[in-house]
Formats: sequence, C-alpha cells, structure tokens
Amino acid sequence: MSLLDVRTVTKKFGGLVAVGEVDVRVEAGEIVGLIGPNGAGKTTLFNVIAGAMRPESGDVVFDGHSIVGLSAAAICRRGLARTFQIPQPFTTMTVAETIMTAAFLHGADVTASNREAHMVAERVGLGGREHVLTPTLTNAQKKRLEVGRALGTRPKLLLLDEVMAGLNHAEVSRMLDLIRRVRDEGVTILLVEHNMEAVMAISDRLIVLDAGRKIADGEPRAVVDDPAVIRAYLGDDEPEAVDA
Amino acid sequence: MSFSRYLVTSPRDLAGAAILLFVALVLPFCGLDDYYANVLVLILIYAGLASSWNLIGGVAGQFSLGHSAFFGIGAYTSTLLYNYAGISPWLGMLAGGVISTILAVAISYSVFRMRGVFFAMATLAVGETIRILLIYSRKFFDLPYSISINFTPGLSNMIFEERTTYALLAGGYLLACVAVTFVLVRSYAGFYLKAIRDNEDAADASGVPIRRYKLIAFLLSAFLTSIGGTLMAQYILYIEPGTVFSVELSVDLPLMAILGGIGTVVGPFIGAAILIPLREILVEQLGGTLSGAHLVIYGFLLIVIVIVLPHGLMGGLSSLREWVGRKRTSGGPARETAP
Amino acid sequence: MLVFVQLVVSGVLLGGVYALAALGLNLIFGVAKVVNFAHGEFLMLGMYAGFWLMTTTGINPYFGAPLIAIVFFGVGLLFYAGLMRFTIYKPELTQVFATLGLGILLQNAALMAWSADYRTLQVMPAGWDSINVLGAFIPTNRLIAFAYSVAILAAVIVFLRTTFIGRAIEAVSQDLMSARLMGIDPNRVFLITFGLGIALTGVAGAVLVPSFYAFPSVGSFFVLASFVVVVLGGLGSVVGTIAGGLVLGLVETTVGYFAPDLKEATHFVLLIGLLTVRPHGLLGIKGAEKETLK
Repeated sequence: MSLLDVRTVTKKFGGLVAVGEVDVRVEAGEIVGLIGPNGAGKTTLFNVIAGAMRPESGDVVFDGHSIVGLSAAAICRRGLARTFQIPQPFTTMTVAETIMTAAFLHGADVTASNREAHMVAERVGLGGREHVLTPTLTNAQKKRLEVGRALGTRPKLLLLDEVMAGLNHAEVSRMLDLIRRVRDEGVTILLVEHNMEAVMAISDRLIVLDAGRKIADGEPRAVVDDPAVIRAYLGDDEPEAVDA
Repeated sequence: MSFSRYLVTSPRDLAGAAILLFVALVLPFCGLDDYYANVLVLILIYAGLASSWNLIGGVAGQFSLGHSAFFGIGAYTSTLLYNYAGISPWLGMLAGGVISTILAVAISYSVFRMRGVFFAMATLAVGETIRILLIYSRKFFDLPYSISINFTPGLSNMIFEERTTYALLAGGYLLACVAVTFVLVRSYAGFYLKAIRDNEDAADASGVPIRRYKLIAFLLSAFLTSIGGTLMAQYILYIEPGTVFSVELSVDLPLMAILGGIGTVVGPFIGAAILIPLREILVEQLGGTLSGAHLVIYGFLLIVIVIVLPHGLMGGLSSLREWVGRKRTSGGPARETAP
Repeated sequence: MLVFVQLVVSGVLLGGVYALAALGLNLIFGVAKVVNFAHGEFLMLGMYAGFWLMTTTGINPYFGAPLIAIVFFGVGLLFYAGLMRFTIYKPELTQVFATLGLGILLQNAALMAWSADYRTLQVMPAGWDSINVLGAFIPTNRLIAFAYSVAILAAVIVFLRTTFIGRAIEAVSQDLMSARLMGIDPNRVFLITFGLGIALTGVAGAVLVPSFYAFPSVGSFFVLASFVVVVLGGLGSVVGTIAGGLVLGLVETTVGYFAPDLKEATHFVLLIGLLTVRPHGLLGIKGAEKETLK
C-alpha cells in the first residue's frame, strides 16, 4: 500500500480545471518531485493534498485513510506535514519555541518538547540559534525553520512547497543535504519545485504536470528526455530556420 | 528559562507570586482606613475581572468588547436566585458561571469566524443585545429596573460586615484568575494560543486545533468573569442593567489589561491597581459621574496608552530587559526568559 | 394594504437616513481599513453643529450643510494627522481602542459643554411638518434628509469614479501595494479620505438634527446602526451602503410595528447574524473582514 495515494483528483476554480483527474502515488521512503511549467497545477495539487483546498472529485488517501475534508491540523496530526513557500513564522516566538509548538503534537511535556526542539534545530542547521526571534532570521534560515517546524510534528510524509525558492547556490546545496538527511531518518518526501537542477539531483522519481494533467511519471533521466515534457516547457513552435 | 515538566517557569515568577499573595491575603489585615479598604476590594475584583478578560482578549488574542454580558449574567443570576428563591449566592455564583459558559459556547460558532475588529464589533453587539433583552424581559417577568440585596451578613449569604472579609474573598478570586492565566500561558496551551495569535495558518499547519483552544480560553474567561459579577453584586448589594451590563465595563476591562500588559500574567492586576485609584481620584477632583469630566480624561488616557504603550507596562519592562540583554551579548536579538 | 405602504415608505425614508449616516464610516473603512468606533460621536458633533448654526446665525442646516461639510473636512484632516496616522501600522487593538477612547472623550466633552439636554430644531414652517402622499404619512424633515442622502450618495459615487483623487482612493481601497507602486502616496490618500469621511458624517448629522434629537450619547445609537449598514451592504462598497441602509430601514420599521421594544435589538441581531454568515456583506469585497493593514 502506498503511503500517499492521490486518486483521480480534480480541482476546478469556476470553469477553470486547475487539476484534472490526476493520479499520484508516493511510496514510503521515496523522494518524489512534482514539477511542471507555470500554471500547471502543481501548487493547487499540493494544496489539495495538504488539506488547504477540497477537490471536486477524487480522493486523497494517506496511510490507508482518506484525508479529504479534514482540517489542516487534523491532517498534520495524522503524519502529513507541510511547509509554506513563503515562510510563515510565528512572529513573536524564537526558533526553539516555534519547533516546540509543533512538537506538542506528541505530548504536553514542556521539558521534553524543548529538548526535541533543540535537536531538530540542530538537524536543520539552526543549532546555536534556538533563542533567536524568528522575524530576524535570514530567508534561508526561515526556510530551514519551516522544515524544522514540520519535522517537529514527527511526520511520516513531508510536503515541501518550493523550498528552494529564493536560495542561492550554496544554500540550495545545504538544503539538498538536509532533505537527504531527513529521508535517511525515515521521512518520505514530496516536493514541488521550480529549480530543475535541485529537483533532478534529489528525486528518486519525477511527476510532471501540464495544464492540470499528469504527463509524465518516472525516473528523472527518462522524464526529462520525454518529448511531451519538453513540449510542455518549451512550447509547440517549429524551430525557426536560421536564414529566413 | 527553566521548566517544571508541564510549565515554563522563571525565577521571577516567585517575586510576582509573593507580591500577589501579599496584596490578596496580607494587605486586607493591615488595618486600612475604610476608604482605602474599599479601594482595595474594588482593585482586587477588577483585577480578577481584567485577568479573566485577558484570557480571551490577551492570551488568545481575540479582543472582546462584550464581556459585560458575562459580568451581568453572573450578577443577575445570583441576585435573582437569592432574592426570589433564597438560594445561597455561592450556588448562584456557580449557576451564573454555567449560564455564561453556555452563552459563550453558543456565540463562539459565530464570532470565531471573525477576526480582529469584527470580533470586537460582534461581541459589542452581543453585550448590548443581552442588556436590551433583559430590559425587554421585564415586561414578562415583572422585574424592577434596579434590584437591591438586603444587608443580612452571613457566610452562606456571601454578605459580610467587615470589608476585610470581602477583601479576602476578592483576593481569593484574583489569585484563582491569575493561577488559571499562569497555567494557560505557561503550558503547551500557551504556545498554541500564541501561535494562533501570531499566524493562524501556520498554527493550523502545525497541528494546532485552533477552534478548540480559542474556545477553551473563551469559556474560562466567560466563567471567571461571571464569578466576578456575582462578587461585585454581593459587595455593592445593588444591581441595575445600566451598571452591570454597561459598555463602560466592557471597555474598562481591556483598558486595564492593556495598561498593565495585554497577554501577560500580572499585567491586568497592575492595570487595575493603577486605574481604580486613578478613577477614584478623578471622580473626587472633577465632580461626580454626571459631569463627564473624568471620562474625558479616561478617553484621553485610553488613546495615549494604546498608542504609546500597546504592550503595556509589562511590555515596556520586557523591551527594556531585552535591550539591556542585547547590549551585553552579541548576535541577533534574543530572549532568555519565558514570554 | 395602507399599513404596508406606510411601512415601506417609512422604511425607505429611514433607510436613506441610515445610509447617509453610515457613508463616512464605510468610506474610511474601505480605504484605510480602519473601523472608526468614534463614528457615532462625529455624527453627534454634526448634529450639534447643525443645531448651533441655526440657533446662532439663523441659517438652517439644510442650507448650511456645505459650510458644515467644509468645517468637518478640516476636522477629519485633523483626526487623521493628529491621531489615526499613529495607529495605521500598529497592532490592530491600537486602532480599536484609540477610536473607542476618542469616542468616550468626545461624548463626555459634549456632555460637559452642552449638558445632557435633548436639542432639536424646528426648521419647517408651521403646518408643513408632514405631507400626505397616497395615504401614507411622510414627515417632511425625513423626506428632505432622504433627498440629501440620495444627492450626496450619487455625488460621492461620481466623485470616486471620475476624478483623479477619487480613483486614487478607489485604488488604495482595492490594493494598497499596487497603488503605491503606481506612485500614489497612501498617506495623502488616507488624509483626504478621512477628511471626506468625516465631512460626510458631519453633514449627515446636521441634516438629521431636525428629525432626531441631539444629545451627547446619541452617537451610540447611530454607530450600531451604521455598523449594520456597512456590514449588510458590504465593507468598502459605496453602492452597498445604499442597499444596506434600505434593508435596515425596512426591517427596523417592520419590527417596530409589531414589537416596538425590540426595535433596538434588531440592529444587534442583524449584525451578529450577518457577520456569521457573510462577513463581507451583501456586495462588499470578499476577505475584507480578514484583512488588516500591514
């Protein structure tokens, strides 16, 4: 049984079909990348899975149970955690307090949560910054805190929403290392990404959306060479002759 | 910052606790002049009320302008049960608390959908509606506009000869309210409520059951405010819709909490301790409530406090400490103590 | 049948009054995202202004309205520059309690200056107090106030759609960030909006004083009604203010006919009911109720 099974999900906005009958499977332990040109429906699908939107039809089955219609908090409690593309910090809290809030999912013990928050902060590279107030972190640090907050809930599946956006080359590299470490600790990962280099480097499998439909699903090398994928990104025009 | 297992504590808490215990349990016995004893009782009751408001208005970040509804329900329930059914105000107090809690549950479905000013508007409307309904109900129940309680002292009547006893009772009330606030703020629930205040969407995504915790704060607040209403009625021995269901009260409680430090554990007490004596002085100096002069100053104070010190005196103190702390250490702004 | 006509006529006239009273509030809310809890007190000041104008100079408020508009425009500028400017970028509670505090201050200052006596004006010559149209009884003062309502609302709509300033105001109300990027100075827009909003409110008060008693706490009555109109018709929608006013006027008149004591309660019940079901009002901008100025 797949950890995440997205079955024929359709999401419309008025007359516009943002996501049309898309099937996605994510097996435990995988890192799956969800890509596609702008407007392909990746973010919409992401939001449907995370419980921020309800699909018109189809089902999202996580760990054997349907999660459609559950609140974001309920979905999180089941083990599916998400990050936000634009970091959403708790503006009056420190790094440690942020992660503690997430960690309370597993118990009201403040001492234990604090310990766990420190460990998670270390894991995401914010060790030593536990007492820093979140609004003063750099963008890259805020993104790592987003991951840390999600990890605080001890998820089985981590949904990353364009976690590389706004990061420079070195920061991307660090983030990739972090994602690998997280997977090694047993967390399955589904990431929506625009950064092709990054997503190619890290994914076991790529899923490509275009205009709301799934057009490819497989090994990164194969997917990238798929003519349908190339056409989706580059368009249908005939290459122009050099001398007209 | 240190922790007992379920609460965030700090050495400074002991100082705060000592001051509160002194004011609530020792000061009443210090042989105060009748005038000052009266002020003390009022400070203690209002501090408890402001702390109760603070649970939903400060800690949960939903500023209600309708708390007079709970106060009035508490006052009326215990008074009516005592005057017309001979039921002890101790029981009447609990009955009032239950009714207020039920009201809070009933309106929570509506009001929690709104944020910020709209929540304030809606709760203001609730407070006024209850007042009008009460006045309207006089048609059917043959109630007088104002109700007095006969002065027959006795423990079971919750009426006392000595102001000292009232002060102890009020002190106990304040301690209870502060204790509830302390546990709420310093436990995991405090983190949840802070998260909800700071960024509701992120809190939702972190597994925080938003509705549930807002409701917990709201119910506690309604119940405790109602208790305060009964205490006040038993102290003043006179109630009427204009005073117990007044908008003035609904504004007073937040004002005290804001002055002292909204969302903090001792802020409301500090705010009450400053505003009640101030109000007494103003009324004395500027003539009775009919002239309105002291309210002009009140309104002005409200404006100044909310613009200059939106986090109140405790907030100012905390900023000062942080500023000093930053001067000593290097690195980004940090906080070394419990919020 | 006659009763029905009377109810409709009275309801519509009252609705026009409510719409006029609420216009300033809605404008300020729509643009600066500020809920002015002192709105009722500005209305009260407008009423007193109309009263004092007539008793000292003999000019009745229907003719003196433009003068009052100018004076209150200045008051509005002062209101923004002297107070609201400091609350716009602060936590939301600042805005709520600052306007609340101002309301308390103004109400009690009026009490001190003018005592709690009820004031009203006799503007219509004797015998002209009301007219009879098709069997329906219409108080002339209300009719004139209604006419003013219509004229002012129309003028505001035209102003917002055609003049440059008007469109700048609309732009800021719809999308502050984009407006800024276009070079519109939000501070200046807020300043003018407050001036305009308070001017409208002052005129509303002046035009209403022949029909309603003026006294220091009259504001609290109108402010709840104004909130209802704004929420009914749509936060930030001028056209909606008209719709909201009419609905409230009709509902209140009808309820008042069957259960006079509950008239006041209709305001509150409507407000809570509306905020629950459609916080953005019938015609307003969706999501406005969750917006704060950042």
